[in-house]
Amino acid sequence: MTSAPAIASPRRRTPRVPLSSTQRAAQRRRAAIGWLFIAPFGVVFLLFLVAPLAYALGLSLFTKGLATGTEFAWFANYIQAFTDPSFLRGVGFVVTFSLVLIPIQMALSLGVALVLDALTSRFARFSRLVIFLPYAIPAVIGAIMWGFLYSPTFGPLGQLFGLIGQQAPFLLDADHVFGGLINVVTWQWAGYYMIIIYAALQGIDPSIYEAARIDGASSWQVALRIKVPLVSNALLLILVFALIGTLQFFTEPAVLRPISNGGITPDFTPNLYAYTTAFSYAQFNYASAISFALGIVVFICVYIFLFATRKRGSFLS
Amino acid sequence: MKKKAIIAAVSAIAIALSLAACGGGSGGGSSVAKNCTNKIVVKSAPVVTVWAWYPNMAKVVDNFNNGHKDVQVCWTNVGQGGDEYNKFQTAVAAGKGAPDVVMLEADHLANYQIQGALVDISKYGGNSVKKNFSEGAWKDVSVGSAVYAAPIDGGPMAMIYRKDIFAKYGITPPTTWAEYQQDAQKVKDAGGPLFGDLGANTPAVMMALQIQKGAMPFTYDPTKPKNVGVSLDDSASKDVLDYWGGLVKDKLVGVQDQFTADYISGVVGGKYATYISAAWAPGYLSGAGVGQGTDKGQFASAPLPQWDASNPVSVNWGGSAFAVTTQATDKKLSTEVATGLYADNASLEDGWKNQVIFPLNQGVLKSDAFVNAEVAFFGGQTVNKDIYIPAENAYKGFTYSPFQVYYYAQLQAELAKVNAGSETGSEAAAAVQKSVETYAKKQGFTVS
Amino acid sequence: MTTLSTPAVTPMRRRRTNRNIVPHLFLGVLVVYFLIPLWWMIINSSKDAAGLFGGTGAMWFAKDINFLGNLQDLFTYNGGIYLHWLGNSALYAIVGGVGSTAIAVLAGYGFAKFRFRGRNLSFALLLGSVMVPLTALVIPTFILFANLHLTDTIWAVILPSLLNPFGVYLMRVYAGDAVPDELLDAARVDGAGEFRTFAQVALPLMRPAVVTVLLLSMVATWNNYFLPLAMLSDNGLFPVTVGLGLWQSLASANNGGGHSLWSLIVIGSLVSIIPLIIAFLSLQKYWQGGLSIGSLK
Repeated sequence: MTSAPAIASPRRRTPRVPLSSTQRAAQRRRAAIGWLFIAPFGVVFLLFLVAPLAYALGLSLFTKGLATGTEFAWFANYIQAFTDPSFLRGVGFVVTFSLVLIPIQMALSLGVALVLDALTSRFARFSRLVIFLPYAIPAVIGAIMWGFLYSPTFGPLGQLFGLIGQQAPFLLDADHVFGGLINVVTWQWAGYYMIIIYAALQGIDPSIYEAARIDGASSWQVALRIKVPLVSNALLLILVFALIGTLQFFTEPAVLRPISNGGITPDFTPNLYAYTTAFSYAQFNYASAISFALGIVVFICVYIFLFATRKRGSFLS
Repeated sequence: MKKKAIIAAVSAIAIALSLAACGGGSGGGSSVAKNCTNKIVVKSAPVVTVWAWYPNMAKVVDNFNNGHKDVQVCWTNVGQGGDEYNKFQTAVAAGKGAPDVVMLEADHLANYQIQGALVDISKYGGNSVKKNFSEGAWKDVSVGSAVYAAPIDGGPMAMIYRKDIFAKYGITPPTTWAEYQQDAQKVKDAGGPLFGDLGANTPAVMMALQIQKGAMPFTYDPTKPKNVGVSLDDSASKDVLDYWGGLVKDKLVGVQDQFTADYISGVVGGKYATYISAAWAPGYLSGAGVGQGTDKGQFASAPLPQWDASNPVSVNWGGSAFAVTTQATDKKLSTEVATGLYADNASLEDGWKNQVIFPLNQGVLKSDAFVNAEVAFFGGQTVNKDIYIPAENAYKGFTYSPFQVYYYAQLQAELAKVNAGSETGSEAAAAVQKSVETYAKKQGFTVS
Repeated sequence: MTTLSTPAVTPMRRRRTNRNIVPHLFLGVLVVYFLIPLWWMIINSSKDAAGLFGGTGAMWFAKDINFLGNLQDLFTYNGGIYLHWLGNSALYAIVGGVGSTAIAVLAGYGFAKFRFRGRNLSFALLLGSVMVPLTALVIPTFILFANLHLTDTIWAVILPSLLNPFGVYLMRVYAGDAVPDELLDAARVDGAGEFRTFAQVALPLMRPAVVTVLLLSMVATWNNYFLPLAMLSDNGLFPVTVGLGLWQSLASANNGGGHSLWSLIVIGSLVSIIPLIIAFLSLQKYWQGGLSIGSLK
């Protein structure tokens, strides 16, 4: 999963006034300087994003078989991807997973942020840090830890069920892996989202709710009617990044796969499928096509989402 | 405040740099030996890089380097099995980044040979060690006159079992799979532990067991690299999968993935009465902590159960060889390493005494010490003489496909479904056949 | 904050404390949940393999507490390779973090304070790049780096981590809000060049955002797993995440050469998260402020 940044919608700028020719020259010069500021990033962007992507795009247009050579194949790999049951199943999984995970995660982080915003006790400050803590733990290490905790033989769950003489469910096998992963991801990321929402809440001018208080609104009403709408921009952007991250779900299933008793297959998520196809089966061409196909899916999902919330382009200034 | 922050930042950078600098180690300009896990004894000699995961590799490499003035080995463990193959496969595809010499299991040779990743070492004097191996062992690493690796160890299969559990439930080692099932039922009815385990992540075991019943998964001749025969859903393959599917369904065997902490702790705790495995397994088990506590001396080995006791078939799981990669800078020196590493007496002895390898070197296989060794893990049982050497001698060799990694992944996925109860063994066999056949055609093979 | 600002009368305050029990309970439950894995890790880092897998209870200490022994084992195993891994992680995080932050600050300022043709298009491209799947980049980057003989070097990890579109986005938003155009114009009128204006006027104003972006990008590099996994095969260059991953894969197959790696994995995980936790705790003031960057309006 990728991390989401903090949020904002930049302020609108003042309308332009017609300029004189010297002003125009000065502006051209300043434009050049603007490019100069952006140049280092531009170079990095071109070298480590555009170039690899262009290369991968090129790769994805060829096919290479073990028994044949490399052939130019136009979009054959894409046609194959969008008819490949492994890929489609993976897409189906991440979409379903997003639909379940994101509401849970959002509700939890928004709830905690609202509670924390209303409390000032030392315990509240402590909780804030603890809930945020998993963000500082590498996803690999989080996954290794949960792998131990899920163990039916020596994990706490196994011992708990052992007390009542039952066999504990293994939260990574085919029947439970969905819930098992929801738990890992929620644990890892909810705190981060919470902190962003919390920071946004803290940024609200308290005098805004004074009026509502005086009108006799309860804290619940203040929270739902005033606070939540005021941080809706933050929420929206978190949602978009959570959506993108979840559709590209990769690290946790990849780390937990070897101990999942087959619950996590190599084509479990599209990203994992692309990775396996490339690095285990050496099908770099087809793997690139899968990655791009996933990119298309992500783009469509995000667009649908933004369309549904009518916030298209709100975070492009 | 500001000053403090700067001091903190500077010292953090300094610490990071100095820590990372320790890792710099030997080597220098040469692109080959940057960071070896081992020490280079003869600093002036050229270096050959090696990837391998034998548990006693550190000693093996030291033995080699101490005994060679003309060449030194720089060894890295990039992971066991699949982890190493992923790295190697990536390096092959990229055309850069592979070591000079790589450890490969016999079933993966064709996979890389077809990609032109392996050197025919017979051109560089590799045949000089041919005399040390049986004809069968040498055949496994060669195609016609071309030789693609130097064999080190084999994996004749047998059944490891718990003496305490067998004694408690009054059973003797089953000699047929029918008896295996009956005994499993008997132990279960008496409230005993699971009889065995069908880990989905060891598809190579399933393949071996299918071959034992007469299956011929692949026909492939690397001299005709465009043709491959795929037969994964014949009656023998289906029968074996159905047999194990039945054991799982009746809860006679577990469904735990192997090579995991859960499995090991299960073995230690007596959760499984038997472990269908190969000659190298005891070393892996004992290194992971098995046979050291209350389970000490409780293990024994018996021949693998048969489908037809009057007509026994011997099969193999694992066993590796050293191959020279086409990316090797000096192929002659690399061949010297591939054929000389883990070939000296001290290394081989360390390997077999700790049971991390079942050596294929005839000098060891025929030596008194090896044949009559009383193995501590098995409470002094002479397993080499009684079980593993006969099994190895009766092993006739398998034919592997040039897309073995893909096949194993498909078989693993279907085994997981069988274990989850969502598919029967026959259905699994049919599904594997379908996906592997499709894949082979997609790769441009003529599939028969 | 807000509760304190309401005028407090005694009966009302009592009612409020009562009402606060429920939210505190809610938080308490969550704290327990979020601490479970950490608790497990702390407890189990004191155990040897037998204690780890033995039945004494996963959430409490085994009979003998072997914390120091494990710690010593961790730092001496395989010639102290764990320490190298920690050092590598720190090196990658610091160089990658500082580099990417510097680049992001410049670019963010450029986007926020200069108007030029193609600005919006470039910025949209930048934001769109977030949607690129990880594997789509790792695969071709690996091949490109291999051709440049950069795989298996520290640059294979550091260079790609310089790319930080989020950072640019944050810096742009923050610079747009926190650096008034009038101040820049005043500096220019005084004859300061564009770069001096940036360094002396804008940069100090952007400091909270710089710290936040620095911290976030350092965490991202420290936590990175699949890029170094694909790029490096020399385990002397591994960051600690990949190193622990390697141990994890070797542990169950006795590839420690008779040395059980399980205890090392647990205590190694614990030790590896300490630096980041310290960084977050000590810089709390900065990043919590930084995260609220322009999150309203």
